[in-house]
Amino acid sequence: MTSSPTHPTPLVEMTDIEKHFGGVRAVNGVSLDLNPGEVVGVLGHNGAGKSCLMRILSGAMIPNGGMIKVNGRPVTISSPHDARKLGIETIYQTLALADHLDAPANLFLGRELKTRFGNLDEKRMLDEARKVLRRLNPNFHNLGDAVSSLSGGQRQVIAIARAIYFDVKILIMDEPTAALGPSETAMVADLIKRLSAEGIGIFLVSHDMHDVFALCDRVMVMNKGVNVGSHRIDEVTKDDVLSLIIKGALPDDWTPRNLEVAL
Amino acid sequence: MVELVQRLRKAGAGAGLSNEAFHKLSALLTMLILVFVFAFGNDAFFSVNNGLTILLQTSVIGLLGIGLTMVIITGGIDLSVGSVLALSGTVTGLAVKAGVPVVPGMFLGILVGAACGVVNGLIITKMRITPFVATLGMMLMARGLALQLTGAAPISQLGKAFGVLGNGSLFRMVEMQENGFPKVIFPGIPYPAILLIVVAIAAAYLLRRRALGRHIYATGSNEEAARLSGVVVDRTKIMAYAMSGALAGLAGIVLMSRLITAQPNEGVMAELDAIAAAVIGGASLMGGVGTISGTMIGAFIIGILRNGLNMAGVSSFIQQIIIGAVVILAVYVDQLRSKR
Repeated sequence: MTSSPTHPTPLVEMTDIEKHFGGVRAVNGVSLDLNPGEVVGVLGHNGAGKSCLMRILSGAMIPNGGMIKVNGRPVTISSPHDARKLGIETIYQTLALADHLDAPANLFLGRELKTRFGNLDEKRMLDEARKVLRRLNPNFHNLGDAVSSLSGGQRQVIAIARAIYFDVKILIMDEPTAALGPSETAMVADLIKRLSAEGIGIFLVSHDMHDVFALCDRVMVMNKGVNVGSHRIDEVTKDDVLSLIIKGALPDDWTPRNLEVAL
Repeated sequence: MVELVQRLRKAGAGAGLSNEAFHKLSALLTMLILVFVFAFGNDAFFSVNNGLTILLQTSVIGLLGIGLTMVIITGGIDLSVGSVLALSGTVTGLAVKAGVPVVPGMFLGILVGAACGVVNGLIITKMRITPFVATLGMMLMARGLALQLTGAAPISQLGKAFGVLGNGSLFRMVEMQENGFPKVIFPGIPYPAILLIVVAIAAAYLLRRRALGRHIYATGSNEEAARLSGVVVDRTKIMAYAMSGALAGLAGIVLMSRLITAQPNEGVMAELDAIAAAVIGGASLMGGVGTISGTMIGAFIIGILRNGLNMAGVSSFIQQIIIGAVVILAVYVDQLRSKR
């Protein structure tokens, strides 16, 4: 699944990525790519290495080996700051919010808007935060409250807003709907469709098969630190994917689903 | 007691008061009650002269408390400030004694304090030693160095200029009387008090209006989140410890200047008063919470308690017991109010 004629250069190419902790090979020679406008599901058991791989791309973890190219150019990502400069944004499962700060402060954390004199431009940050948060959730009013006092859905909205407000090109979403109710989950699904239509590439880490099959163009399954399968979503069934996750291999009698139809 | 605090808190929330504002208000109220009680017991307490004395006495704890507030907000602690105060003061004393002019000598002292803070920060962030242990080590090393440099003897005869910062005052008005003796009309605002106010405003500005201040709060609130958001957590922490060290240096110079003697034994346990001031003022040792104005109120509560108890003739041993109890009570009330 390398570059196709419609996508001359993939957004991201990760090649032979290695990460070990002592003797444990958490990520063992994994390659993965992502094209503009594509949604790729990254699946696997807890501890299969998928979070590790995503953390390497978002700069939270430094790999022991392998190469990462962004827009065809080899890059070194040694901090979250580096990743953000490349347009790689991450929505963490833990949301990564500073509980004592309010929503605007969290939204702009590490990238504060400043006045000419280098002071924090609280007014502009509040205005911008109100705009982007209301777009995601029209009922967002408590912008001045510490985020610890907000609901799970509101906190999730802040984490999402923080990832898409800036010039995002590659979005990593780690279990973005795990803490959400049905209406908020639908909002996230809409958002994923809208962003991919804008040409943004998305890695979706999820356990929810329904979400994966509804949203992804492609799935990549990891098992024990190895990429055990990269497939277009229309050539596999849920059972096939579960087999990859659990056994690390497709069912013995597997043939590509769409080929079956074609034959 | 529990119910009273919770009822008051509810009333405060009804009036649109945030938790932080409520704490500050209750601390301020405590301070006013103290002033009232002491003034009732002793006429001399409630006088301009004594007010200025309290300002002067509180300036050292206040300066240390401001530095500690920044460190405590990052979720750390700095136990070394009392010793760094002594080291900075003695280095300045030695420099002045060796012929360095007073002003550069004092800057040297502040620099030594900042350097101790940077070392604290590096030990904590690069060697991954917990702040408690790292600054405990620095507490011993800085004190040892101050004693070693001076041979444990005070350095005196530092000249008149050395004493100006600690003993001078602004707007002092003196009138010569007919009998030839001067009469003090207004004793003036002591320089250390002015310095404290300037530093407090600068620190509050830094914490509230600058990105570094925002990062200090974020680091203490959720270090991992701050890091993932692109905050350079290590640099933020090192800056906080450096500022704490520099302010300890400044406090040391003020104190030694007041005594016109550099004392390697000064400032023992001063870090505990400063921590108490920050905690009474609402700073949380868990990080992410604290304000300069709160710490100032905390410092003045301790200063007023000390001064008032002294004037009432209470022994310094009993004073320690009372201040210890106040610290515990302040944190207890703080816990009650944040419970919902």
